[in-house]
Amino acid sequence: MNTKIKNIVNAVVFCVAVFGFALLCLVLPKPEFLDSERRPAAAFPTLSLESIMKDGLEYGDSFMKQFDDKYTPDNFPFRDFFRNLKSFVNTNVFNKSDKDGVYVVDGVAAEMQEQIREDQIAHAADRLTFIYEKYLKDKGIKPYMAIIPDKGYFLSEANGYLSMDYDEFIAEMLASVEFMEYINIKDSLEVGDFYASDTHWRQEQIVKIAEILVNGMGGKYDSKFEKKELDVDFYGVYAGRAPKPLDAETIYYLTNGNLENVKVIDWENGGKEISLYDMEKAHGKDAYDMFLSGELSKVTIENPNAKTDRELVVFRDSYGRSLLPLMVEDYAKITIIDIRYQIPQILLMGVNFENADVLFLYSTLILNNSSELK
Amino acid sequence: MLFSSISFLFYFLPAIILLYYIVPFKLKNTVLLAFSLFFYAWGGVKYAGLMIIAIILGYIFGLLIEKFREKKIAKLFVGLAVACIISFMLYFKYMDFFIDNFNKVLGTEIPLLKIVLPIGISFYTFQIISYVVDVYRGEKAQKNPINLAAYVAMFPQLIAGPIVRYHDVALQLEHREHSFEMFSAGARRFVIGLAKKVLIANSMYDLSEIMYAAEEKTVLMYWIYAISVALYIYFDFSGYSDMAIGLGKVFGFHFLENFNYPFISKSATEFWRRWHMSLGSWFRDYLYIPLGGNRVSKGRHIINIFAVWLFTGFWHGASWNFILWGVFFGVLLLIEKFWLLKALNKSVVLSRFYILLAALLSFVVFQIPTLTEAFSYIGGMFGAGGIAFSSAETLYHLKSYAVLLVMALVGATPVVKTLASKFSESKKLGKIANVLEPIMIVVLFFVVTAFLVDSSSNPFLYFRF
Repeated sequence: MNTKIKNIVNAVVFCVAVFGFALLCLVLPKPEFLDSERRPAAAFPTLSLESIMKDGLEYGDSFMKQFDDKYTPDNFPFRDFFRNLKSFVNTNVFNKSDKDGVYVVDGVAAEMQEQIREDQIAHAADRLTFIYEKYLKDKGIKPYMAIIPDKGYFLSEANGYLSMDYDEFIAEMLASVEFMEYINIKDSLEVGDFYASDTHWRQEQIVKIAEILVNGMGGKYDSKFEKKELDVDFYGVYAGRAPKPLDAETIYYLTNGNLENVKVIDWENGGKEISLYDMEKAHGKDAYDMFLSGELSKVTIENPNAKTDRELVVFRDSYGRSLLPLMVEDYAKITIIDIRYQIPQILLMGVNFENADVLFLYSTLILNNSSELK
Repeated sequence: MLFSSISFLFYFLPAIILLYYIVPFKLKNTVLLAFSLFFYAWGGVKYAGLMIIAIILGYIFGLLIEKFREKKIAKLFVGLAVACIISFMLYFKYMDFFIDNFNKVLGTEIPLLKIVLPIGISFYTFQIISYVVDVYRGEKAQKNPINLAAYVAMFPQLIAGPIVRYHDVALQLEHREHSFEMFSAGARRFVIGLAKKVLIANSMYDLSEIMYAAEEKTVLMYWIYAISVALYIYFDFSGYSDMAIGLGKVFGFHFLENFNYPFISKSATEFWRRWHMSLGSWFRDYLYIPLGGNRVSKGRHIINIFAVWLFTGFWHGASWNFILWGVFFGVLLLIEKFWLLKALNKSVVLSRFYILLAALLSFVVFQIPTLTEAFSYIGGMFGAGGIAFSSAETLYHLKSYAVLLVMALVGATPVVKTLASKFSESKKLGKIANVLEPIMIVVLFFVVTAFLVDSSSNPFLYFRF
């Protein structure tokens, strides 16, 4: 090719790329939801005199900034292809190890937790101690504590990623809540017990954890379940953040005759009866929300066919939602409290601690970033 | 609007290219001006009016200066024009800085005005000044206000330079040619600049931010911070200049080069002949020489040099770290001029080591807004505070960014350019190069688009300029 032809080809190639995508930007339909990123696509920003006159510190809310930073990237044609191309270049050309702290090993995504955050441990301990001293201490109740390691515990150090010392983290946490009796579930978990694209564990893999906890609190676990498959492609929280594309996963859930007859009450929304497994949410934006209908601050599960008349009060984060249904056969009533969304004084109104086991079930992700605990 | 945005690449750019090439030549500057004003207003509508007022003042003063060029009053008009135009910049860019320091020195509590800095004010102010001074020096005044406004507001160089002097484009505003050769060269230069900004500069910025945010710093971290900041500023700034020069060619203009591999310099004097050349030559021609340059007493000469560098630093932002940055180079240049340059010429290794170290330290001061923190970082580079040399965290991030760092370091030297030139000049390989070039443009363009579509950081270096 001579230089003259090259110049023509250069100009044509550049124009085809610029004009071609410009045309596609204009004519292709805009997505409402970005499936692989589990979030809605940015809508066309409000066009008004007020929104175009914003400047200075308010410029971030202006029509122009919203159009530049939100609308045009979210609605760009073949967005997923370009996101995968970026991942490919970052991983295979630039040889970058992670993307904003998220990495992928053998198709499993995890996030680096490289530092033990003493202030966060102290805050978590302060909140848990408050509950103990106000509601449990005088009643002579010794609560239990179980700590769920995030996937970094299994993957980080072994694969050259930054990792905190999880044993030291748990030791520090327990030392600051000495009134608790620790039940070790960490050593019974493995990376395959978790979704590859999500932070959470798989319900079908954690019957063993339910057994350890029930037995650890003095019960005798012997529940059996039937495994059912959900007919949706599940992309976890890391799907939109991982440096490599992640495959869709299948969600399985466990049930049996007893589980189908429990009464589940959502106290956050006025005592409304809900399902143990919410099939509407299973087909929504985050299929993991099928377990106990997502992030509700106070839920009770009553089981008229339980093996005992004992009750369980659980303070938990989102991991508890898929685990606790597996424990309902051992308790007549389970009260599930999430203090990330409401203060405990309100959530614990009317909660009966007599004849109850009390369990604090938290992941290292929450305990090391505990400022949201109220 | 940023060049490195979807909005620019796939909405603004195709629209202006289409309209620009459809209209007859006499309307091309009007199209350029209209789109340039839209481009500018996109970053803040209110201050487009300020720029238009500055252009009108420049236009009127230009005509007056030409009309009375042979008379003493012309000098008064030049002074008035410069004072008016500079006063805008003084007010919008520096007023809060002056009030803040006035309060600190005198213990007063004059409230800050909290003025929003109009983007690009430093660039268009200098271009209008160059216009009126060039007219005073004999250049023809621009009779067509559209042409003058198109020169000042021309979007390729409006918000990040290079500072285009009126003298250099006066003829092109009225007569310029468009060809596949120009368009092709412009498109290639634009895409290369875009890749420098999006792939290299943004990555170096991310690395510097990781180092900055690390809780347990090490000596190696401070050095990585300094190197990544220097590379970020260089690739961002030179990438923007490449994009501006490339877009200029697409629209038929030849802008002068702005960067010439400054990190291969052997002295601060040479560094500034290679770094932001349009700013250096502007200060030389419109401040240093009018002050008397070197044709004055030694003492006055030193004052002239010092003044130029004080203002060079201050031009970059209303903050003491920029002033110190400029003064630092001023002092280095004076030392070189009167003593060090001869010694540096004796050893290439020593001279390169010297200027690289000086540049790294200077960019730490440039990037970190408070002097206390900047000095603490410089101290950290030399182990102050007994910190560890390295850590697992440092090595992890160094490994993660190793390829990008090597690419940036190599790209900051003329190695790639020299190889590419040899490749294309060869009879046999030249034909292969001609085939590879359009492929390279497409691949880079797609990769850059991918990084913009899934952008996590796209810093804008010039918001303080």
